[in-house]
Amino acid sequence: MTATIPGRRYASEDDPRVILEEQVGVFEPVPPFPPRTEREAEFYTLGDGEMFLNMGPQHPSTHGVLRVVLKINGEVVTDLDPVLGYLHRGVEKLCENADYHQAICYLDPLEYVSSLFCEWPAVMAFEKLLDVEVPRRAEYIRVLSGELLRVASHALFMGWMALDLGGLTPILWSFIERDEIVEMLGSLTGARMLFNYYRIGGVNGDLNHEFMSRLGDWMTRATEQHEANVRLLNENEIFVRRMRGLGQVDRETALRMCMTGPNLRAAGVPFDVRRSHPYSVYPELDFDIPTRDEGDCLARYLLRLDEVKQSLRIIDQCLHQMPDGPVIAKLPRLLRPRPGRAYAAVESPRGQYAIYGISDGTDQPFRMRIHDPSFVHLQSVGLLMPGHLIADTMAVMASLDPIMGGVDK
Amino acid sequence: MDRALRRRIEARFGEVLTGPVRQRHDETELRLAPGDVTTVMRALHDEPDLRFRFLADLCGVDTGLVMQVVYHLWSDSTPDWLRVIADGLPRDDPRVPSVTFLWKGAEWMEREAYDMFGITFEGNRDLRRIYMPPDYTSFPLRKDFYLADDAARSPGAGVRHMERTHAPRNATKTSLLRHAKGA
Repeated sequence: MTATIPGRRYASEDDPRVILEEQVGVFEPVPPFPPRTEREAEFYTLGDGEMFLNMGPQHPSTHGVLRVVLKINGEVVTDLDPVLGYLHRGVEKLCENADYHQAICYLDPLEYVSSLFCEWPAVMAFEKLLDVEVPRRAEYIRVLSGELLRVASHALFMGWMALDLGGLTPILWSFIERDEIVEMLGSLTGARMLFNYYRIGGVNGDLNHEFMSRLGDWMTRATEQHEANVRLLNENEIFVRRMRGLGQVDRETALRMCMTGPNLRAAGVPFDVRRSHPYSVYPELDFDIPTRDEGDCLARYLLRLDEVKQSLRIIDQCLHQMPDGPVIAKLPRLLRPRPGRAYAAVESPRGQYAIYGISDGTDQPFRMRIHDPSFVHLQSVGLLMPGHLIADTMAVMASLDPIMGGVDK
Repeated sequence: MDRALRRRIEARFGEVLTGPVRQRHDETELRLAPGDVTTVMRALHDEPDLRFRFLADLCGVDTGLVMQVVYHLWSDSTPDWLRVIADGLPRDDPRVPSVTFLWKGAEWMEREAYDMFGITFEGNRDLRRIYMPPDYTSFPLRKDFYLADDAARSPGAGVRHMERTHAPRNATKTSLLRHAKGA
């Protein structure tokens, strides 16, 4: 007989299956208390022929642990209420109790798909607080690694997007592409996913031979591989017809919903933090900001493919313009910035990623606000979904590309 | 740093500002009383020479003495980030008007500030907890909420997980709130 845990009930002496006293993992869509707000009362009141459908928190295509309560009429979604907090770790509070160097490594697991973009605004904000000049080579290395990761993140987006619609091949292709980039960055930073590479005043290490040879190898076929990725889905009639006109958002609404990044540009607003509010060495680099006017899921998907092309251009320029010199400014181990406030934002693959830091003169940030674009984008699902089918919820959500690690902080 | 923006803001909002307009790096900062938030934000959003159409961030801040709500705005009329600080919200009942009438997307950011600081945004139609469970009673990002550091306050000792209402013995004494009024 197999070992049993005391206190548990088993089916029988021979059958080691545990009998659970109560059913676990069942989520009632309606909260067990009276509504607290106007909106909650409105949502949890059923109209004629409507019912609730609980989706998640362990849904394979919610990109993390997200629960969405759908109000449906037949198969048409009339309203929805996302329930967050399953991944909430209180990173802001942890950062307030860590010193400036330690705070940076708490930020990596937020947007785990593009974690360099979480560190970047933080080091920028701290550099502003400290009035540090970053060496130019370090800035170029930051841009280079950042843009590489943007390509990887958008590749993965393409795969997820297709996977949520039921296509299995693209995710395999995109993981091949992502793995090459991630291995490359792994040889630069020492980690494959949570890099912790940017430091206050520069980066952790200079470019090395292994990274450069991997990068050169990848660059020779990157454009070709990108075009193959484009061909994979862009001419797929099922994909295109399903995505066109789905989850449409216009310019004014996109601005009103505080959207940023590809989702805003797909609605026709050419707002890109790299150009609108230049940081690092982006003013010296030549690239375009692609926009699209349709504002539907297909536009959001196509726009990200266009962005990959621009990222490849930037990577190429970085390699040609990379100056020599130190990669990190000389700073003491224990940093005590003067009391003050600093706001720094970067253009992450998902939009404006920003950190707002307040220093009170001690070695720990007094307050560190993390602004995550996924969080802001996820709330517009409620605006885009009404009138579409249940199965399209995942398509719309995937096209906004939220990462739950960042949404829940 | 956009000096012209500072002059424009001082000329336009001079009488409602509660402190000098400060500029550092690429940020311009203005402070006002919470009662003026609606009119100033509407003016910043609508007036053709300001045109701050884009709300970059909204967050709460607990200074230990007062609460603040901090807005970051961006406009194509200036290269600066504009930081608007609604200052001097009392810690026992912080209230500020909601900006959801201009930016619907501020709704969740306000919910987050309510969840973490207990700041009530008047006019937000969905002001409930967003990260913490609905029956949670503390406000974790307040300065009088201490991180768990010993087993004496663990769930095993009867203290609810992560719900901390008592300061360590050596901490300075501050008043503590269990519930924000309303919502």
